[in-house]
Amino acid sequence: MESKKMNEQENTLEIRNLVIHYISDEEVVKAVNGVDIIIKAGKTLGLVGETGAGKTTTALSILNLVPEPQGKILSGEILLEGRSVLTMSELELEEIRGDKVAMIFQDPMTSLNPVHTVGAQIAESIEIHRKVSKEEALKQAKEMLELVGIPGERSNEYPYQFSGGMKQRVVIAIALTCSPDLLIADEPTTALDVTIQAQVLKLINELRRKYHMSMLMITHDLGIVAEVCDEVSIAYAGRIVEHGTLEDIFDNLRHPYTKGLFDALPDIEIRRSELKPIKGLMPDPTNLPSGCPFHPRCDYVMEVCSQSLPENKWLSETHCVQCHLYKDTNESRL
Amino acid sequence: MSNILLEVKDLKKYYKVPKGMLHAVDGVSFDLEKGKTLGIVGESGCGKTTIGRTILRLVEPTSGSVIFDGVDIPKLNTQEMRHMRQNMQLIFQDPFSSLNPRKTITQTIEEPIILANMIPDPDKRFMRVMELMDTVGLAERLVNTYPHELDGGRRQRIGIARALAMNPKFIICDEPVSALDVSIQAQILNLMKKIQREMGLTYIFITHNLSVVNHFSDDIAVMYLGRLIEKAPSEILFTNPAHPYTQALLSAIPVPRIHNRPERLLLRGEITSPINPEPICRFANRCNCAVPICSKEEPGLIEIEPNHFVACHLVGRA
Repeated sequence: MESKKMNEQENTLEIRNLVIHYISDEEVVKAVNGVDIIIKAGKTLGLVGETGAGKTTTALSILNLVPEPQGKILSGEILLEGRSVLTMSELELEEIRGDKVAMIFQDPMTSLNPVHTVGAQIAESIEIHRKVSKEEALKQAKEMLELVGIPGERSNEYPYQFSGGMKQRVVIAIALTCSPDLLIADEPTTALDVTIQAQVLKLINELRRKYHMSMLMITHDLGIVAEVCDEVSIAYAGRIVEHGTLEDIFDNLRHPYTKGLFDALPDIEIRRSELKPIKGLMPDPTNLPSGCPFHPRCDYVMEVCSQSLPENKWLSETHCVQCHLYKDTNESRL
Repeated sequence: MSNILLEVKDLKKYYKVPKGMLHAVDGVSFDLEKGKTLGIVGESGCGKTTIGRTILRLVEPTSGSVIFDGVDIPKLNTQEMRHMRQNMQLIFQDPFSSLNPRKTITQTIEEPIILANMIPDPDKRFMRVMELMDTVGLAERLVNTYPHELDGGRRQRIGIARALAMNPKFIICDEPVSALDVSIQAQILNLMKKIQREMGLTYIFITHNLSVVNHFSDDIAVMYLGRLIEKAPSEILFTNPAHPYTQALLSAIPVPRIHNRPERLLLRGEITSPINPEPICRFANRCNCAVPICSKEEPGLIEIEPNHFVACHLVGRA
């Protein structure tokens, strides 16, 4: 069954050349500047980047949730199992949100409603999408709670009665109620302690295998990527500067920014006296540098870097990089 | 022997809450040598921030002593304490909420200098502010900017400059880089190390991020529910952790590599309540190796090898 689905090579999500700017009277924030993302059925893609890389804006666009009126999707295409999200009516979108595509947000403290019981919050999306009675929905909500490791009888309690880790489990339960085809997890464990993070990651891993879900995992933590993802896209200033399988990125990284990200991490096993930061700061998205947006911080900068944008260069069937260093070679130049 | 700058003995901070007494910090003792860094790690609610604040007397300890440079801090009166605070400073976690949005960089950095009346002459004071900005790597052109104009890394540099303004001997850094991106985090950590070397500072570095603390500290203390459960030099703690909680904590860190991934020890359950804790091992109900005695007696801190202290019934027994 599983191999059959793989062979079809169907893509759960395809984003092509997405451009999203936030436009106000004073300025234009260029959040997403030509992002391509493909998630194959049953696979997990890690979208990695620092603050301001455009990760969350990209995620919101998948459900057409980019905040209006400032947020404008200027160009691009988003295909969810072959259907274009951007041309859907509000009614069609409502049917998809929480059903085919579910989202887990970063902060479980603010993404739950404090005045409803957790059971009612889980039941809400069952009621809407499965068209069942309230009693039946509440019954299923209890089963969902059990599934994420919370005793079903606690479904009558309110979010404040739960710890951070348990709240995030409730959020996961809500996301999974309608067995979505695509789960978007936006930094799902950033607000949690490490031992609880380990539990939640294990839970997410088990559930996505069980339900054969595709997942977009947004994170800044390369350790989490190594643990849950199949493929990785490295985002910088609203572009995917490098993309590949786990092996491509962890063993054969090519882009200077990806290298910088790995080098800046303190290694838990090797103590060095000095860390190696990436020089300079993230560019201001209202005033991006000319050419390659990373060139002012890059150790390998060349003349061409400030003049023109590097295009996608495929080094292998799975590994793609946007960098002028690889104009006429596939060999690492770092 | 006089190399000890800070000596904390049986420090306790209890809060009265409707359900009883919340034991935020419960009998913590440690020494800290001059020029060294002690990392305090633990998860939310373990009391690591409260320890920092109690040492500085930003909250009054319930009992116990804090001896800083030979002076018992909790016994000082307000006047003496105000004077003493010039030696002990704090760098906060969140560079967004710890700066006054209505003050320029210059005003923020010079405020402690004015309050302590260290440099009455405005021109000289401005020179001092410029010197501090240079030390922490803030460009001269930023003198009149406000916090909202700056990114997280630069704001944290202001926080560091403000802490350095008093020429302190000792700084408590409470999660100074956890709000920052990795590329900026490395810049700030390097800066703090450089300043420590140049000015001979002593740090307490409070964090939940174990890879950062390993990089930064000479000694590491691990806390669980208000108790210090293990303390050792960094290399020893990371290569030979003795307490089951420390072992689980270390194995829970997601490692950024795809080969030779370490085996993970998953803890069950979550942290229990620090309100009216029973006199038993506080970790017993989550511990994978608990034995009957763990839920009968509270283990004391014992030294299992030089400078390696552990509070666990299983350690030091056959």
